[in-house]
Amino acid sequence: MEKLAYFDSSHDFPEEIAMAAGFTPYKILGDVKERNDPADQYIQNFICPAARSFMTDALTHSSEWAGIVLAHGCDVTHRFYDVWKMHVETPFLYFLYVPMKYGTKSAATFYKKEMQRFIKALETQYGVEITDDKLKEAIVLSNSIKERMQKLSSLRGEKDISNAEYFDACVKSVQMPREDLIGVLDSLLEAWGERAAFPADKKKILLTGSDVTYPEWMDMLDEASMRVVRDDLSIGERSFAVLIPDKQDPLEAIIEYKFTMPRPATKNPPDPRFDYLFKALKDSGIKTVVSQNVKFCEPYAFDSVYLVKALKAKGYNVIQLEREYSPTKDMQIINRLEAFNEMKGETA
Amino acid sequence: MSETTTASGQAPAGPPRKRVERLQATNQLGKIIKGYLVRTSMASKLPWKKTAWITAGFPAELCYMFGITPVHPENAACISGSAKISLKLIEYAESLGFSRDLCSYFKTNVGAVGKKVGPAQGGINKPTFLASTNTICDTHVKWFQTQAREFGVPYFQFDTPNAVSGIDDEHMEEYIDYMADQVHEFMDFATKLTGKKLTEKRYNEVLEKSARLSDLWQEIYEYRKLVPTPVSFQDTMAAIFPLVILPGLDIGIKFYEALLKDIKARVASNTGAVTKEEEKYRVLFEGIPMWYKISFFHQLANYGAIVTYEPYTFSFGPKKKTGLPMEQMIRELARLIIDTPYNYSVEKRIKYFENVIDEYKINGVILHSNMSCRPSCTGMIDLKNAIQNDKGIPVWLMDCDMDDPRAYAEEPMQNRMESFIELMAANKK
Repeated sequence: MEKLAYFDSSHDFPEEIAMAAGFTPYKILGDVKERNDPADQYIQNFICPAARSFMTDALTHSSEWAGIVLAHGCDVTHRFYDVWKMHVETPFLYFLYVPMKYGTKSAATFYKKEMQRFIKALETQYGVEITDDKLKEAIVLSNSIKERMQKLSSLRGEKDISNAEYFDACVKSVQMPREDLIGVLDSLLEAWGERAAFPADKKKILLTGSDVTYPEWMDMLDEASMRVVRDDLSIGERSFAVLIPDKQDPLEAIIEYKFTMPRPATKNPPDPRFDYLFKALKDSGIKTVVSQNVKFCEPYAFDSVYLVKALKAKGYNVIQLEREYSPTKDMQIINRLEAFNEMKGETA
Repeated sequence: MSETTTASGQAPAGPPRKRVERLQATNQLGKIIKGYLVRTSMASKLPWKKTAWITAGFPAELCYMFGITPVHPENAACISGSAKISLKLIEYAESLGFSRDLCSYFKTNVGAVGKKVGPAQGGINKPTFLASTNTICDTHVKWFQTQAREFGVPYFQFDTPNAVSGIDDEHMEEYIDYMADQVHEFMDFATKLTGKKLTEKRYNEVLEKSARLSDLWQEIYEYRKLVPTPVSFQDTMAAIFPLVILPGLDIGIKFYEALLKDIKARVASNTGAVTKEEEKYRVLFEGIPMWYKISFFHQLANYGAIVTYEPYTFSFGPKKKTGLPMEQMIRELARLIIDTPYNYSVEKRIKYFENVIDEYKINGVILHSNMSCRPSCTGMIDLKNAIQNDKGIPVWLMDCDMDDPRAYAEEPMQNRMESFIELMAANKK
């Protein structure tokens, strides 16, 4: 099955439409180990390094993809569309505006029209027919994946599962052929179920902020004796925390799903994002939060000041980090995390 | 430190100071701004008055229609920059945890509120509500979410879809449907807040005055095509004030009429902002100026480089249609929110710039690669390459920041300016 690649800044792209068109939705995640020189010919280095890495990925791998969709998330997505249009070779480059304002009637109406237009564009480009039945089938498959991811996610707090292993499962869930994915996730569920109990020397944390797109950063958390057992990241809980509702109109089901999933910092109003985090902490009993943003990622940098203050006021231990986009082990960050761990003694 | 000296106290290197004559009517602006600041300050203290913080990209006319006083924190941040206190305010915001990478206007605003500075230094009072679009940047949304939460007041957002390169007319109309729906939602919001129901008469009255203001601005820009230009950036950078915050009122119209009277007098006497001989190079400046370093433009002028076109100031005065039924007027307003030069796609921006370069006889372009305005900078490298290739004129991609003086280093900037001038000189031979 061919890949339809997409670039969104959170979980904005409606993967089910690509699946109904017969494609594997493939989330572009860049390669942190590759230099950004190809993208840096066109983009200044004070613009999101992750997005520049995605562009490098597109410049070097677009021939492996049937087409590319940029779904609006943050400013970078639509501004990059213009630049990609000039330089990335692909038979199909599409921009899908996903409302920034969630929950209003006008936003829902507009979002539906945008998805209908996108469906028409796919049908015209690839000679496929995307029916409601096919969309519903895709939703069923998508929900099966989400259910398995929910189970895997819940094992993080019970078993000895490294941060990078969880991250790897999340990456598979947004890049692998979805039919094959079910089997892979079932095997993981079986394997993780047999793992040793959660290690006593690790602290359970909630991870929030910019999306982490490479495993090396997750390894650093392990090295600092921290285990992510809850999060609200797009390569994480955001993409599976809620299921797509069962509705007569599949597009309306997708809209309701998008409006109710754990909210990224790129949407308005912002409060549901914080509410999700507060509830996750309350439900899980976790006392420690690592909030981070990758350099130049503005939406999360804006939110972090309030979030840190609010979490502290609620009695949680919280650390805010700004990280480089780099696979290199950052000992300064590890030292800070270790010191933070030592100062905040409890292991809950 | 004076803005004409370096950190070491030395005057910057370069040719002797050349005077750029500002229009006499520009002097009226101080009084207009003071009057506005007094009115907004009063309005925020009177319990029956409603005030709204708005941003660039949000039609201030919508406030005037409901008798709401619009207040512009970006404009206030310019005042802080010009008053050379923005750094102090930015550092205050950073002390609260806001990243060095965040918009310097935003941090100036956080500092101005937190440190309670006066209006003459960019101080700004708590509003009844905040309203913005995301037309220019998502930063406007994050900024206003942050401040609305801080003040405990409502925030209304216009969700503006992005008109990317190659969008067709039918798709654009769909975008406008969504924006028009949101204009109605704003009207419901404002009606609830003010208790005032908007009439078609009032709507048209405000928009007609706003259209008149834009027409005058466009006329001013027509005169800038002349050599020597009768109007330089030294006038327009401040003269946009009525377009930003006073559209729909008479005061701006009178001011622009006075400006035009001066311009016409200059043209009749064949004089310009500088003489024809002194105007060696006509420069297009893209982006927000460095408010803490306005002398940069004087330094340019010392070399005979006069800024004769700025997409930034032009953007605030687009042509506006009038005399249409209210629903159509709402769609036109919605169209303008989406389709402004400052928000053009890269493809459209290239065409726009290349037309301007021809029409305004531009010899060189400065693109402000502004660390506080990443969306406007994305695509600038393609814009630079296209202009250089298609028009054969030098383009300076200038890394700096609009309100954070830490981004400006005198000597490197001076060196780059000299190189830019040399390239324009070589190109003219």
